Amino acid sequence: MHMRFSLPVFVPLVLILTGCDRCNSEVPVDEIGTARMDLELIWGESAYVLEQVATDHNGYTVRLDNLQFYIAPMQFRSNGEWIEGADVSLIDFGLHAPHITSTLASGTYDAVRFGMGLPPEINTNIDPASYPNSHPLSVIGSAGMFWTWSSGYIFVKYEGKFALEAGTQLLESVSYHCGTDSSYRMVTLELPEPFIITSEETRALTLTLDAAKALNGPNDSIDLAVDPITHNAQGSDLGSRMMDLLIDAWEISAQ
Amino acid sequence: MTQGKPMRICLSTLALMVLTGCERCQDDLPCGTPDCAPAATPYTLEIPPFFPPMDIPEDNPLTVEGIELGRMLFWEKELSGDGTMSCGACHLPSAGFSDPNPVSTGITGAQGMRNAMALINIGWSPSFFWDGRGLTLEEQILEPVSHPDEMALPWSEAVERLKNSNTYPDRFTVAFGDATITPKRTTQAIAQFLRTMVSSNSKFDRWRRGETFLTDDEFAGYEIFLREGGDPETTEGGAFGGDCFHCHGEAGLQFSDYLFRNNGLDSIFTADPGHAGVTGNPLDSGKFKTPTLRNIALTGPYMHDGRFQTLEEVIAHYNSGGVASTTVDPFMKYSTGGLQLSSVQQAQLIAFLHTMTDTSFTSNPEFQDPH
Repeated sequence: MHMRFSLPVFVPLVLILTGCDRCNSEVPVDEIGTARMDLELIWGESAYVLEQVATDHNGYTVRLDNLQFYIAPMQFRSNGEWIEGADVSLIDFGLHAPHITSTLASGTYDAVRFGMGLPPEINTNIDPASYPNSHPLSVIGSAGMFWTWSSGYIFVKYEGKFALEAGTQLLESVSYHCGTDSSYRMVTLELPEPFIITSEETRALTLTLDAAKALNGPNDSIDLAVDPITHNAQGSDLGSRMMDLLIDAWEISAQ
Repeated sequence: MTQGKPMRICLSTLALMVLTGCERCQDDLPCGTPDCAPAATPYTLEIPPFFPPMDIPEDNPLTVEGIELGRMLFWEKELSGDGTMSCGACHLPSAGFSDPNPVSTGITGAQGMRNAMALINIGWSPSFFWDGRGLTLEEQILEPVSHPDEMALPWSEAVERLKNSNTYPDRFTVAFGDATITPKRTTQAIAQFLRTMVSSNSKFDRWRRGETFLTDDEFAGYEIFLREGGDPETTEGGAFGGDCFHCHGEAGLQFSDYLFRNNGLDSIFTADPGHAGVTGNPLDSGKFKTPTLRNIALTGPYMHDGRFQTLEEVIAHYNSGGVASTTVDPFMKYSTGGLQLSSVQQAQLIAFLHTMTDTSFTSNPEFQDPH
């Protein structure tokens, strides 16, 4: 019997066996290393874990119960050129040791840049059901972070409880859900020292978020007694204000 | 250029192995696992439009024979201590495969604490039970059979009964490759059956597919469903909506975010700590899994303890905002006057919820009692 399908079968077979997703890389595999970005949370000067009670700039007692956000993409600068790292990451500070892993060409990097939220081309008009369940934008992977097809995903969830007077029960809700295309922000951080990636090795950085700065910065501050909640699926100003405040809430350090 | 015949055969064989899943038929796999079921016929589950892919465990692929065995076992009364109760006794088709009673009654007359969850599109759920203590569907199925307040049959006895039946050894053989009957295989078969229980033909589904129209009230209810809740004077972004979509989102058309939330039913949780009973974290007190809204008009009574008999009572609860506690979900408008939906809006929201009803699912002959 003459098998006419040998060639059509052969081509996809070769693609499957060689891993076609790597074919577009211009960097030889043996010149690729890994940058691991460990995320840490602080409140002011102190280390912070979710569900811990802290005091905000107005003296209110605050307890953050949920802090999640998308970072897309992560980029690293080398010789003045921005190199793509991880494409989409969903960070959940409620999980153990949140981190972002990027595959980079061997070289020296002097800055990182990342998008807080999702760029418009992947924020709206893509059905979450089209992603595999392990993807951070999938129905399961984005659990609780998807609004609607038109408004897209929640970029940042900042939720908890607060009380106006110290020593009283924390019964008032803090609930900031920031999103929509107009709230997408880029953060650029210069590295304190050259970050050298060598082939087949992992180097680590620490990306620190000051959760208190989400409420208070050099140019703006949010009073929870006045504005405890925003879900800016319709693009309200308050969510964008928190996104602006968050731009200045990050620091990066080498390990 | 010509290709040598041995090379061509080799590549074609290799290609066929890749394309057909060569790992399923390796000789070195232990016989008796679903991976070595030479007689079983692979079953391809059709994923409806707009649904996400379903993750099926590698060690429990769907097969025609496995699914049919699972259906037999789901409806098998011999899996209860006194032979009177099957899984289906608390998951009635007419009630959207849930229990129309607030809590279920086991064979001894003992009652559980919670309402039996509806078995609708359960194959997409990443956790099981109201408190999330089940991590896999197979694991979830283990519990009711042996639970003293439910079917009250030790698994060792259940296995013996199945081994001594006239039909089950043969059915396990065709489903799993040999007649070995174990609790694991039993739960695997039932899980296969449950994963085929897909509801995707409600009026809402048909509307999404462009096959029908919603009435004005149903569409108005849909808009309320999608709008932020609360008075904009007191709630930033509030739009007098139902705020339903946050937890019962449309993504993947499952109408659940599968998360655990305290929806303001109670302020103390000593009777039932909810998710905190699993995590040990007091801040998870009063949190329960968000149920799907599919077939919601059929699956009453509502909430984890079945305290609300009607959808009207459910909407009234959310309209009031619920009660405050240190773990209540921030979506609840307990301190800002609730949703403040008018009676007309509440009725429209309920009209929309009725569009989730899929009687072709509840009456599907492939899900009914085969005994």
